[in-house]
Amino acid sequence: MSGKAESVRQAAGAVAKPGEDNTKVKKLKIVGFLCNWCSYAGADLAGVSRMQYPEEIRIIRVPCSGRINPLLVLKCFQEGADGVLVSGCHPGDCHYQEGNLYARRRMLILRSLLAYFGIDERRFHMSWVSASEGKKWADTVRSLVEDVRAAEAEVKAGVPVW
Amino acid sequence: MKDSALRKAEAIAQKAASERQKVADRQKASERQKAALRKTAADLLAQKAVDLVIGYGRSSGGDVVPLFVSRVEEAQALEWNQHCTYNLVCYLTDPEVVGSLERKEKSKAGKAETRAKDADKAGNARPAAGKVAIVVKGCDLKSLVVLQSENQVQRERLTVIALTCPGVADETGRLLAKCEGCPPDVYNPRGELCDLVVGEPVQRPGGESTGKQSGGPLSDPENQDSTYCDVEEIDVLNPAERRELWDGYFARCLRCYACRNVCPLCYCKECVFDQHDPRWVSPAAAVASNRSFHLIRAYHLAGRCVDCGECERACPVGIPLRRINRKAARVVEESFHFRAGLDPEAKSPLVAFANEDPQEFIE
Repeated sequence: MSGKAESVRQAAGAVAKPGEDNTKVKKLKIVGFLCNWCSYAGADLAGVSRMQYPEEIRIIRVPCSGRINPLLVLKCFQEGADGVLVSGCHPGDCHYQEGNLYARRRMLILRSLLAYFGIDERRFHMSWVSASEGKKWADTVRSLVEDVRAAEAEVKAGVPVW
Repeated sequence: MKDSALRKAEAIAQKAASERQKVADRQKASERQKAALRKTAADLLAQKAVDLVIGYGRSSGGDVVPLFVSRVEEAQALEWNQHCTYNLVCYLTDPEVVGSLERKEKSKAGKAETRAKDADKAGNARPAAGKVAIVVKGCDLKSLVVLQSENQVQRERLTVIALTCPGVADETGRLLAKCEGCPPDVYNPRGELCDLVVGEPVQRPGGESTGKQSGGPLSDPENQDSTYCDVEEIDVLNPAERRELWDGYFARCLRCYACRNVCPLCYCKECVFDQHDPRWVSPAAAVASNRSFHLIRAYHLAGRCVDCGECERACPVGIPLRRINRKAARVVEESFHFRAGLDPEAKSPLVAFANEDPQEFIE
């Protein structure tokens, strides 16, 4: 548990070092939680197929999307992430039969509570990406980055993400 | 002219008289109910059916306070009036109450052998040990149903005394918001969920089976808007407005945890907010950590909260906590067609799933 929280902190804080040129476009910090069996393999496939997609996502591999405690997502936002992605196997494909179906319910509630508190919904995405969907993975990250940028554009000056 | 003025005055006088009569009637009914409650509690204790009755009493200052009765003669101190707002169900999982009952039971077990012999001689049943009776209103009963569905109470060791309830009020005598629109099957508790119902069935104006409360029958979609109108008010705002609204409230939060401590459904031995490793949410009272606290609190109550309103009542800085919990309840109701507190056999929606669960938000 503590190891997971630590890796969240590292992933979220791993950019925006002093001296970097961030005058043009703000470098986004986006954390992706990918299940080991489908989405992580899908992202790997995108990599070995040399598909181009934004590098602003930092991936944390988890055993199953059902492993993702909403506290992990909040921790990302608290530590300065601009967006969070949760990705797992398609329904019916879960390595543990039903972990992603629990995750689906959890993330639905988390997402609506985030929106209720005025956190832009576009900052939190969930996707189903299978091990063979390298292209879908690249598309997912692209649309996620676009969405987070759009949310950033509407933020009033001085209002932090969290 | 004179006649009509006279008639008007007469009508007003009549109305006032009938109002007075109504108040007097209500008071009398409440007195009768109190007497019946005291007798019920005294009987249970005298028959040794229970060791402890958890109910309402009066402090030396005259305020209504929780009262723990373990002797027959103390049962006369039990109270019932419109200020009995507390949800006493939170004491059923309270470590102190549970611990003291366990200690009592242990000390009894030592004497049990000799007593069993005596009982056999007299032909009586062995008296029960560590059994509790609890006084609940209909709305509190729903939180007990959730505890039961989560295996947090031993129902067979519990005697539930439900009171028919004309509604409870704040210090100024104004009816609580949660009581407005409370459905009849809640303020006149159903017999199958409790052991004893004390009091005559109550007639209440308005709220006739509107199902406005989370304990009412599952509302049809047409009814939905009026059911969650307080949530809808915030839902229609744009994200920036919602952010501003809630951040204003969260800036006030002291992180005193009164909302958590008073909640009958917060019974974890170690709360995530008390954990040091990992430290999920900073204990400092800042807007960012307060937002996390309230979001996770609502998340942990999603599909469980029965809207008893205790958190909002206990909040010293007036954060509208019911509106947060009711948002989660609305999402659960609309997405998973579930309402908490109706069925002790039902599984909480977050430890279940359905293949047809909505997933429009997933890419």
